[in-house]
Amino acid sequence: MLYIKNILSYILVLPLIGAFILSFIPSSNRSLLRSVALNCSCLTFVLSLVLWVFFNKSIGTFQFVEKFFWIPILNINFPIGVDGISLFFILLTTLLIPICLLASWDTINIDLKKYLIAFLVMEFFLIGVFCVLDLLLFYIFFESVLIPMFLIIGIWGSRERKIRAAYFFFLYTLLGSVLMLLSILYIYYQVGTTDYEVLLTFSFSPLEQKIMWFSFFASFATKVPMVPVHLWLPEAHVEAPTAGSVILAGVLLKLGTYGFIRFSFPLFPEACFYFAPFVYAMSVVGIVYTSFTAIRQSDFKRIIAYTSVAHMNLVMVGLFSFNIIGLEGAILQSLSHGFVASALFLIIGVVYDRHHTRMVKYYGGLVHTMPIYVLIFLFFTMANIGLPGTGSFVGEFLILTGSFKANTTVTFLSATGMIIGGCYSLWLFNRIAYGNLKTQYFKNYLDINKREFLIFFPLLLGTLVMGLYPSVFLNPIHFSTNMLVEFMYF
Amino acid sequence: MRIETLLFKEIVILPELFLGLSLVYLVLHCTFLAIKKKYLLIQDSVLYLGVLVLFLSCVLVVNDCLDVLELSSLNDTIINDYVSFSSKLIIGSLSLFCLLMIQPYLASQKINQFEYILLILFAVLGLFLLCSSNDLLTAYLAIELQSLAFYVLASFKKNSTYSVDAGIKYFILGAFSSSLFLFGSSLLYGVTGTINFEEFRDLLINVYPGSIDTTFSDISFFNIGLIKFGLIFILISLLFKLAIAPFHTWAPDVYEGSPSASTFFFAVVPKLAIFVLLLRIFYYSFFGLFESWRYFIVISVVLSVIVGSFGGLEQRKLKSLLVYSSISHMGYALIAFSAGTFESIQMLFCYLIVYSFSGLCVWSIFLLTRIKNNYLQKQNKDLTDLVLLGKSNYMLAIFFTTVLFSVAGFPPMIGFLVKISVFLTAIESSMYFVALLSILCSVIGTFYYIRLIKILYFEKVLVGKLYYPINLQSSVLISILFFLFIFLFINPTILYLFSYKFSLLISLAI
Repeated sequence: MLYIKNILSYILVLPLIGAFILSFIPSSNRSLLRSVALNCSCLTFVLSLVLWVFFNKSIGTFQFVEKFFWIPILNINFPIGVDGISLFFILLTTLLIPICLLASWDTINIDLKKYLIAFLVMEFFLIGVFCVLDLLLFYIFFESVLIPMFLIIGIWGSRERKIRAAYFFFLYTLLGSVLMLLSILYIYYQVGTTDYEVLLTFSFSPLEQKIMWFSFFASFATKVPMVPVHLWLPEAHVEAPTAGSVILAGVLLKLGTYGFIRFSFPLFPEACFYFAPFVYAMSVVGIVYTSFTAIRQSDFKRIIAYTSVAHMNLVMVGLFSFNIIGLEGAILQSLSHGFVASALFLIIGVVYDRHHTRMVKYYGGLVHTMPIYVLIFLFFTMANIGLPGTGSFVGEFLILTGSFKANTTVTFLSATGMIIGGCYSLWLFNRIAYGNLKTQYFKNYLDINKREFLIFFPLLLGTLVMGLYPSVFLNPIHFSTNMLVEFMYF
Repeated sequence: MRIETLLFKEIVILPELFLGLSLVYLVLHCTFLAIKKKYLLIQDSVLYLGVLVLFLSCVLVVNDCLDVLELSSLNDTIINDYVSFSSKLIIGSLSLFCLLMIQPYLASQKINQFEYILLILFAVLGLFLLCSSNDLLTAYLAIELQSLAFYVLASFKKNSTYSVDAGIKYFILGAFSSSLFLFGSSLLYGVTGTINFEEFRDLLINVYPGSIDTTFSDISFFNIGLIKFGLIFILISLLFKLAIAPFHTWAPDVYEGSPSASTFFFAVVPKLAIFVLLLRIFYYSFFGLFESWRYFIVISVVLSVIVGSFGGLEQRKLKSLLVYSSISHMGYALIAFSAGTFESIQMLFCYLIVYSFSGLCVWSIFLLTRIKNNYLQKQNKDLTDLVLLGKSNYMLAIFFTTVLFSVAGFPPMIGFLVKISVFLTAIESSMYFVALLSILCSVIGTFYYIRLIKILYFEKVLVGKLYYPINLQSSVLISILFFLFIFLFINPTILYLFSYKFSLLISLAI
């Protein structure tokens, strides 16, 4: 109780401490390594639940604010804090990391120690991205995430193509974000600091706003990803190990939308309005194009990767509707996508661990042999379509309502994405779950075990709660979003 | 205890004097020792003696300058200020690390002549003098001292054609560039009648950037055009020494051909001293003509950033990759040099310190990974010789990865901070196009660093290479460097404070 005001910094450093402890455990002692990493990440999750409990839902400003000195001579410091927007992203990160560690419990056979350290370091960077209140440090954390992810794809990826995928991932994201770096330096030069709360009081001229908005856009759009620069995503998803895909879909894609909400909107409001039609166009193209592309894929993971792109582009539509409903829907849809897409990648991981293939054509009739698995798969397929009762429905509904106020045509076009989404999800589910059992390919079948069930359970519960009683999530978001919208309009 | 009581304080060049006298003694000592018995290997003892001498002269440097600032002596040819103090300190410690790091390499390559160590010490003496030189002639002599040592170091492997070839190339082109320096100096002397930096500054005291056309055209004391002409020759000569883009073509050949220990030394150490000379000439003395020499530097920046990042893409040898990397890094350093603001000099100094330390790390790792069963006795390392280092020596691989990310300027490392400081200076002086171009080129440059990381970890070969074990001394040094890297990221303030005073003194001229 006494130290509850410092809880955010505990959450931030705990994974790093875990990684430090792991580095002293001999790599032959696999069970100790795994249990230390899992306990550490679970403790982080529990602490972040405590953060949620003590979070004051009725104010929209930053809470648990702390400030550390870093380079005082250049006026660059290390302030941290959470508000309603970042709270759930932190929770999502801390929830998904233990799930990832559990998902790769038996499957990682080479360099387990480095793998666990990479995940814990990545957790540190991700929590850092969401809680830091300084533009330059945001950039530092934002980019640092690439290093562990690059190594995870490259070292523990499955096929020979993984190197190409790792390059794609690294260079696409880097190329986008160096432009943002130049803008950050320009902002630092103009304002004299990169402290977020100080930057909010500064307003840039329209021309500056447009140029800087565009460079921020280049970075965040690569991360979301928007259509012309989405090529790295299917590659990276297919080649990454299951846990890597989960983190990639669950959290890394949200960095882009979080960046838009946190920085592009309040810093460059006029440019946001100016470029809104452009973003609408790109998002609609993204939704329709990637949904159609998903239908003609043969790789299980690639299909889910393309659906991720479609859903994240829907989130972009919600964000650029600039009203409270749309923004809340976008945040909720990000969260729900974090649950659903992660669960779908884990579902792929389950069958991939058993049969070592991801080609859809080898599977069929799994309902006869793996009923519990198929039940979970059915639930998340329906969540992916956006069935009422799941979080995706609430998110998509709010997004479409919000964007209906802003632009009806865009709403209509992005709603088609939901229909096509129904097509590919049901098609995929049908191929995998029903039909004849393809015994000519696989001899042994095994339903999911206790560990795998425990992986799915929190995601399932979260999706259901989000669908049945979304106020649990929407209430803390509400005041921060309200403040943001007021800030943009006035 | 201070040596103040002995009244050595008046001798401004005490460290250099000590180093020079010890060198004379060492030459005599080694000569007598070497002819006393046949085949006596005195390499190691000379090396440790050299380390001791260098360490003591570093101590003298520190002792000298804590309260003695801006003291010039020997008829104003030598100046001792914070700039020379700090750069001598850095150069001294870098050379210390270098000497200790090359010891296992020298033993394995059977470079047993004691002259090798002495030549390195002579080069360090030249660099020390270069840092504190206060007129053109002293600077020229100091450059010649270090360059002559480098020519011999480059061609030290007498039985290798590559090495001799590299030495001759380095000698011819280096001598050519030195002659350009002399030509420029003579032009300046002919026009102004002086070669002293302070007197140059006093002569041009009325000239400040942008004022040339209005104020100065009426006064025809001397020909400003000829001064500019001479300055450009001096600039070209110094850019030649730094291997900056239009004048870089000698560098890949020379760096590849020379013995790796020599390459290590002249890739890492001398850059800082030459930048100090550039600062003294162009900022301290001729800042009034900033507008006219700036454009040449900006052109060099653009060219060297492009050459460095695109040229490195297709390299298969580790050494030539590092050469191109150094070309692009010198380009980034020149961005700060061309910005012409107070902060830019500070950032330049920060950048050079971090660049030198990361160069030290990369080259140390280059020398330490000696492959067993190498029947071919290759002169150079291919990139693939480091394949799966992550399996065979994973601590070294982690260290190498950290350093490479830092060199690439990737966020959580110190290299990122100094790189964005440089870009910040470019933005502050409105060089948006240069900043944009070089930041995009740095992404392309990142590609070859992450290709190295890929080779360290991801390569799908069944057997990696076997390396000789690393001795205790080298591993202690490597870990010191590693912790220095991490410490500099956690607390970069110390770097900025150290360089702050540096910019203060130079900026007295501005």
